[in-house]
Amino acid sequence: MSQTVFKRWTKELTIVGGIIIFMVPLLGMSGKTYLTLTIAGLAMGMLLFLVASGVSIIFGLMDVLNFAHGALFAWGAYVGFSVFKLLRNWVEAPSVLENFGVFFVAILAAMVAVALLGVILERVLVRRVYGNHLFQILITFGATIVLVELIRVVWGPNDEVMAVPLTFQGHWDIFDVIIQRYRLICIIIGIILYAVIQLILKKTKLGTIVRAGVENREMVQAMGHNIFLLFTGVFAAGAGLAALGGLAMSIFSLQVYPDMGSTYLLFAFIVVIIGGLGSVTGSLVGALIVGLSYNYVAYLIPWAAAGVNILIMILILLIRPTGLFPAGK
Amino acid sequence: MAEEPGVNETILTVENTHTFIGHHHILQGLSFEAKADAVTVLIGRNGAGKSTALKTIIGLLPCSKGRILFANREIQKKRPYEIARLGIGFVPEDMGIFANLTVEENMRVAMLSENEETAKRLKRTLDMFPDLRNFWRAQAGILSGGQKQMLAIARAIVNDTALLLIDEPSKGLAPIIVEALIEAINQIKEHSVVVLVEQNFYMASAVGDHFYILDDGAVVHSGNMAELVDDDELKSRYLGI
Amino acid sequence: MTEKTPVQIFRSDEKRKQYSSGSFFLRIAILLLFLLVPFLFPSFKTIDLAIKIAIFATLVASFDIMLGYTGILSFGHGMFFGIGAYCVAFLLGKYGSPSYANLILGLLMATVVATVLALLISFISLRVKAIYFAMVTLALAELTLVLANKLSGFTGGEDGISISLPGVFSVAFNLGEFMGLDVTGRILTYYFILFICLVLFLMMIRFTHSPLGRVLQAIRDNEQRAVALGYKTFIFQTISITFGCVLATLIGGLYAMWVGYVNPESSLEVMAIMLNVLLMVIIGGMGTLYGGIVGAAFLLTTQTFLPDLQKLAKDILPQAALLHNVFERWLLLFGILFILVVIFFPKGVIGSVKEYIAKRERTDLASP
Repeated sequence: MSQTVFKRWTKELTIVGGIIIFMVPLLGMSGKTYLTLTIAGLAMGMLLFLVASGVSIIFGLMDVLNFAHGALFAWGAYVGFSVFKLLRNWVEAPSVLENFGVFFVAILAAMVAVALLGVILERVLVRRVYGNHLFQILITFGATIVLVELIRVVWGPNDEVMAVPLTFQGHWDIFDVIIQRYRLICIIIGIILYAVIQLILKKTKLGTIVRAGVENREMVQAMGHNIFLLFTGVFAAGAGLAALGGLAMSIFSLQVYPDMGSTYLLFAFIVVIIGGLGSVTGSLVGALIVGLSYNYVAYLIPWAAAGVNILIMILILLIRPTGLFPAGK
Repeated sequence: MAEEPGVNETILTVENTHTFIGHHHILQGLSFEAKADAVTVLIGRNGAGKSTALKTIIGLLPCSKGRILFANREIQKKRPYEIARLGIGFVPEDMGIFANLTVEENMRVAMLSENEETAKRLKRTLDMFPDLRNFWRAQAGILSGGQKQMLAIARAIVNDTALLLIDEPSKGLAPIIVEALIEAINQIKEHSVVVLVEQNFYMASAVGDHFYILDDGAVVHSGNMAELVDDDELKSRYLGI
Repeated sequence: MTEKTPVQIFRSDEKRKQYSSGSFFLRIAILLLFLLVPFLFPSFKTIDLAIKIAIFATLVASFDIMLGYTGILSFGHGMFFGIGAYCVAFLLGKYGSPSYANLILGLLMATVVATVLALLISFISLRVKAIYFAMVTLALAELTLVLANKLSGFTGGEDGISISLPGVFSVAFNLGEFMGLDVTGRILTYYFILFICLVLFLMMIRFTHSPLGRVLQAIRDNEQRAVALGYKTFIFQTISITFGCVLATLIGGLYAMWVGYVNPESSLEVMAIMLNVLLMVIIGGMGTLYGGIVGAAFLLTTQTFLPDLQKLAKDILPQAALLHNVFERWLLLFGILFILVVIFFPKGVIGSVKEYIAKRERTDLASP
């Protein structure tokens, strides 16, 4: 009897189980700390989602493993860095309007610039290695080296401090719970973007074609759609998302440095393995899991923070190798 | 896009086509024609190259030698989406249904334009396959085998399709569904030229006008379906029936 | 008397040809070159370069066993290399004292750790696609780097551990003169490491020519067919990975011996080591163990003499500031070179040469 109950409610039970697991840290800390960490974790998760979603969709549609995603992430941060330097007075102005204004300009500039980079990357390099995973990794790895070195050439090899718009700084103190303003902004950005992506995928014709292509690339072609244009477009979109993630992350961590891509690329891979390659929702859930667990463990057992995510990844690989939300490939 | 073909005009010409899959020489000099106002059937045993022939025409497989002409244009070097947009519809052997999308979304992916013409064709198609209307918002993956086949065909004819390529539609379907398919193809052939690949001789003879028997990637016999039905010797020699 | 089967005849013919072909003499020549370097070019810089080429060539060959012969990409080679270096460092430096026993113990411990780790990684990630293996190894390698830095009490942190070598290998040792060469501990260490590298290299060659090695190549070329033929591909891939990783670890230990210290930056810097190894294996040629020698020689020589090249460029064209800038960013050039090689010469130097020879042989056989 209990066996059948379990089977019917598997999805609901897993969700409840997941929520319970994430309540466990409450046992080791005060409620207020828990809330602060949760918000920090959600913010970090949202940023990871931005990077990971690009990797996930690109793999889902094109069957391409893009190792250059980290470099694109870094480029986004640096373009934003330059924008902030150029429009410094907007950044330092105590006006919400100007701060958000320069933020949006930076986002636009970063996403457009890196999307263009993505187009070049896809057409010149990635196109040659469709279908061959090994060479995809090699070629995008090479592209990463070149892109990161170009950062060093253009912006110099040193770490730079990233400016933070004035009104983004600081925190709110609500009943002793500290909520960093910028973290909340990140969470909101993440939610908006997830909604936008889902809207595009589910409600527009283009999105429908992309979802169809994830299932059956050949058939979409045979039905009259230029799949190569689609690939370039999706790659560029993924690159743009990575750029947004990089910009947001650099404001979060207050710095930009040429190698910043590699650390977050790693996180992105962990996220897509946990969440499932090819699924945007999977990336979101995976990213939140990674962000939350990282923050909780960092507080409770500091040296284990980096390892806990890898542990979760290994667990998923053992129990459910296709990830939490496999995208029916 | 496709003009109304005159009677007995040749819509599709496949000329001495060779196709390789890896090292395997599948099509070895295949030549056949499909004429307007007729259903051309490619029959033959397993592995004869029938599916490969259709895939080569639609461009999913490259042909290494030979020509393929559609409405007097050479298409053997074109990309699949270019070929599809010329007015060729393709229904593969595995139907190629997007299981995670709804029936409506499947049709939307198929429709290459959103004008009045297409809307009229959509209505006509749904009249032909009323089940699709009933399951309009359902996930395509839950449809039965027969319904999936209907959807696959519907997708291929909702555009201004001059040539319809269908690969083994009756495979694995119950006889009553096969009857419905025959009925549908008989309606379709009034608007489009149909090239049908079939192993099921009952289906082939019910809708076919001309036939080509394939073996080892080439045509070994051809003619009118009416003659083949009566020719028991031919049937047993090449089709084992 | 039993007749020889066609396969046996083919194999014995192959063996005979092996010892008389041109490439055999070439290999002997290279070996002689390594042996004579201390005599011919007694400057430390050259000896250092030579031994580094030997070490990296062997490392690349061990990577090639996994990549070129089994078709598996692992980003963990740097990690295993570092583990080997640290194991030797622990036993000869931090937690032990310089003695022959500890040296051997260190290498042994490294072997055990590597075996366990390689088996674990294989078990976890091989069940899924091969690309997951790449990602998992990348993750673990980064983790090891972070841990090495964080657990500074255990690992010596950022400063690392310095090593003193025992007995005849120690810096102070001096055997006197021999044919014009001052036989110091350094020189003896050189020959010892060279010897071990040679042994490991020969082991790898034996491995690839063995029946086991052939099965691996079959799996690399067409995994489905290998499975259909009844081979448990998972086991073979695991063996290959373990072999390659253990070798990498041993080589790391040798590297620690030569360099005299380990720290996270030089011994565990995953990306840098992986990049070097990848460059070398691509330039030299995948699936050809000797490619490692070519790749290592090319890359390390260029890196060593790049500062001199830079000076030369400055002297000849003092105005071309952009050129100097580009020279500064030699990594950029290497990245571009890497991409170009991957696209246009995926078989690398040795691979292309082999292909050329094979083509020549085929046309020779074809013509009357």
